[in-house]
Amino acid sequence: MGNHFEPSPVEQAREQELIARAQGGDRAAFAALVREHSDMVYTLARRLVGDPHLAADVSQEALIRAWKALPGFRGDAQLSTWLHRITVNAAWTQKKKASRHQGASLDEVGELAMPIDADHPEVAGEILELRGKLRDALDSLPEAQRQIVVMKDIYGWSHAEISESVGISVTAAKVRLHRARARLARILEDEG
Amino acid sequence: MTIVCEIAAPFVANSAVEDTEVVWPLRSHTASCLKCQARQAAMAKTGRHLKAMATESNPAPRDLEWKVMSSLEGDLAVSRSWAKPVTLTAAAVSMVAAILIWRLRPRPGA
Repeated sequence: MGNHFEPSPVEQAREQELIARAQGGDRAAFAALVREHSDMVYTLARRLVGDPHLAADVSQEALIRAWKALPGFRGDAQLSTWLHRITVNAAWTQKKKASRHQGASLDEVGELAMPIDADHPEVAGEILELRGKLRDALDSLPEAQRQIVVMKDIYGWSHAEISESVGISVTAAKVRLHRARARLARILEDEG
Repeated sequence: MTIVCEIAAPFVANSAVEDTEVVWPLRSHTASCLKCQARQAAMAKTGRHLKAMATESNPAPRDLEWKVMSSLEGDLAVSRSWAKPVTLTAAAVSMVAAILIWRLRPRPGA
């Protein structure tokens, strides 16, 4: 996954210690890991499901699953990568339940915080506007297409990782992504 | 805009995000079509914005940590509430079984 930030060696060592303690059943250590990663998990969940309330449920479910699965975490991948996968799976589970919770208003979704260049407010304004349009366009994609764009184009997952996570073939993942991008382009073009 | 532009549109969008060339049957068209080039430029910009969105972060609800941890406490309480009765029942069943086996054992000369 290409876009993840590399934690510093000190942060990594601290995190590994917390993981080891949490694997041994230390809830305080797990709570510290939750504090560390909850924004990332929630941001991903928001992007995957759109609705903020549903995203909170997805995040909660993902973190509970993480606790249960933590003894099996061997550190082959970064904890954040592992949590990403769990969050995507939790979002898929919630998606099935969410058919009766469909249609969250875009007004409810609110704005995502983003770094803004204070020295160039005009550029920052343009970026804000573009990102706002982009988020709206993403939200109007069908859920399956939105998820695949989020995984590939925002978080840089490989086709193989997406296919494994979503449970479709690599070819199907590529086709779905192709269609999703084409649709995204059309939506953005129509919005002008 | 021609029908070729419409056929090319999804391929243009994908090549722009991936920063690759458009598939060859459409390459000569897009190279000479201003509409397709504009679409390609717009989608390349979208692709860059999508990548940049990876750095955005949205604060999780304040009660998320509390909800997660109290849910784990709840699971533990449930497992604890089950553990004692199950252990006692298993011990009682084992004891009754042992007594029955002892009482019903075949006795020599009986």
